[in-house]
Amino acid sequence: MDLTRLTTTLLSKVEQFGSKKEEAHIVSSANVFVYFAFVLAVMFLTIHIAKKGVNGRVFKGWLAGAAEQLYLFIENMVVGTMGAGGRKYMPFIATFWLVIFFANVISLFFPHSPTADLSFNLGMALISIGYVQYQGIRANGFFGHIKHFAGPKLGGAMVIISGMIFIIEIISEVLKNLSLSLRLYGNIYGGHEAAEAISNLAGQAMHLNWFPAGTLLVPIKLLACVVQAMIFSLLTCVYISLVSHHDHDESHDLEAAGAH
Amino acid sequence: MYNFVGYGIAMLGVGIGLGLIGNGAMHGMSRQPEAIGKLQTVMLIAMAFVEVIFLVTLFLGKSLLGG
Repeated sequence: MDLTRLTTTLLSKVEQFGSKKEEAHIVSSANVFVYFAFVLAVMFLTIHIAKKGVNGRVFKGWLAGAAEQLYLFIENMVVGTMGAGGRKYMPFIATFWLVIFFANVISLFFPHSPTADLSFNLGMALISIGYVQYQGIRANGFFGHIKHFAGPKLGGAMVIISGMIFIIEIISEVLKNLSLSLRLYGNIYGGHEAAEAISNLAGQAMHLNWFPAGTLLVPIKLLACVVQAMIFSLLTCVYISLVSHHDHDESHDLEAAGAH
Repeated sequence: MYNFVGYGIAMLGVGIGLGLIGNGAMHGMSRQPEAIGKLQTVMLIAMAFVEVIFLVTLFLGKSLLGG
């Protein structure tokens, strides 16, 4: 509670420096920056504490062990989706996972959070889909990347269907931004709204005004924190693997060789 | 005025969809217990896609129809 009051006094100070017309915008954007700075501070502090247990042979301390398990989990996800050549995307995907997870966890304790803000989520989605387009253009060339939206090569009178497939694929690619950002925003901000609604309901129906009943949702929101971070990273991996087919064939061969 | 009926119908569809995904995942996991990890991952991805439909309905409803 004290930190929230501190941030609101900080924000009112920022508001005094802003122009009178754009007060609302400056307060809302300063809100995101202040909370994002807090997310970064928590993340780097956790990594700094975890790094103390890292020495040559064995990882001491539970935080270093947990960080190792997290690395193995993300590496398993990336290599399982993109093959062995996907290891070079590890820093990108791990950054997304860490930022989203810590911002989600902070949303459990504070009324605002970077991931409870639609602009921040849209920015992250644009970065993710923009990176997927960049990888596609790098792998297939500019016209090859655009041609891959047209679907399979149909001959004869079916060219019209190819045109329709192209339009639908372009719309679907643009809507990936919307779905990625809205999924995260809906889960985290929806958690806030659901907690508020349940607290109001408990106050009106059960006259439980002294205890905020919305805090009982924290376990399921904790599950949603982890799952949403994983889903954002996993969907980025899947979109990259759909666009650049480099080592995908190798892993299929290995699977076929192992199964028979 | 009746936008809560619309939200209720949307949630009905999402509930049935999530239940069907869980059903398929349970059947697959019971047939092949060694594929539980992969099935869990794909189940979570499918659930995220279905949840997005409800969230898009919610935000379109709020912005377009003022509910």
